[in-house]
Amino acid sequence: MVDLPRKKVGLIACSGEELACGTLSRVAVRQVLESLRPEDTVTLCLPLFLAGNEQERAFARFYPTIAVDGCDKQCAKRATEKYSAKVAAEVVVDKALQEQGIAVHPQWRRQPDQSGLEAARYIAERIAVQVDQILGHEHPGPTARVGEQQEAQTAPAPATCSCASGIPVTQIPVGERLVDILALEPLLTLVHEQAPARNDGLGAKLLQAIKVYNDISPEAEPEYEQALLREYRQRFGKEA
Amino acid sequence: MSDNSHVLVIPCSGVGKPLGSVAREAAYQVIEDLRPGMTDTVCLSLLTMGDAEAQEKVRTHPTITIDGCAKACAYKNVQSTGVEPTADLQVVDTYREHRELKVPAVIDIGETGRELACHLADKVAKEVDRIVEGGD
Repeated sequence: MVDLPRKKVGLIACSGEELACGTLSRVAVRQVLESLRPEDTVTLCLPLFLAGNEQERAFARFYPTIAVDGCDKQCAKRATEKYSAKVAAEVVVDKALQEQGIAVHPQWRRQPDQSGLEAARYIAERIAVQVDQILGHEHPGPTARVGEQQEAQTAPAPATCSCASGIPVTQIPVGERLVDILALEPLLTLVHEQAPARNDGLGAKLLQAIKVYNDISPEAEPEYEQALLREYRQRFGKEA
Repeated sequence: MSDNSHVLVIPCSGVGKPLGSVAREAAYQVIEDLRPGMTDTVCLSLLTMGDAEAQEKVRTHPTITIDGCAKACAYKNVQSTGVEPTADLQVVDTYREHRELKVPAVIDIGETGRELACHLADKVAKEVDRIVEGGD
């Protein structure tokens, strides 16, 4: 059985230390990770995009991401798009709360009180709806899920931090270039397990599998197909 | 030119691990409780994204970074602006001295987490005093 990474949504909070809405961004993200959509989401500490390595920057190419920003400077969105890939959705906390008529209190910066946690919950519910839309999942309405969260707060699910998620990145030659491929090994194994004996359409199958997690332009597809066939035959040569 | 009368305390923005939240709480304890008026913070992500005002603050004030894990994002991101942090503290060093203070979660670090942050904040406050008094 192939241990293929499950498709999840990456949540990136700005966590802005100067502002109450920065704290709410991280609290809301943790609520989604721990209680509302623990099976469908992972996170990454935002400054890792700059301080981290290729694996950490591969995060947003591997996962569709939602940027959760405290203010209109939108550091989380801008950093994700600068260092990794375009975000799938975005939430700006101060704007969203203002639209809802929720006043933000400066003391929430350090520790949100009950009303601060409720404001974060409102943001978390919005994020959960976006997660469902991105993954095409059907969930009960967010309000129904909030009741579940109340119970879950005593024993939150272990939230996933992407710096321990182990997205495998493999560099292979494609045409004249060396290219990073996300999840190459499990995807090759998956294709092999599904259709091990036949060469018919093997290149197209490999390409289809790899494209789930890697952005490949249509004009580059023939080169990628050749490269993937070569990698596949190196691993399963006798059988392919 | 550095204005040593005002010190920036910049914690990591760790959202994945409880010790990141301890770094954040320790920073707030220093800024709001222990050394108000002589310390401040800037959003690490804003600094990272090259915000001119945030970068100017870091260039003109001594900076103490607090990191929640070995990836040391606060330290590295301040350093990437061309400024060496005046002091750099790791939560785990304080945790090694107080292993009984387990931190239960990221959102609510609990009493033990706040106590751990308190020990760390004392260290940060001493660094602030050393810098302001001209020890650096």
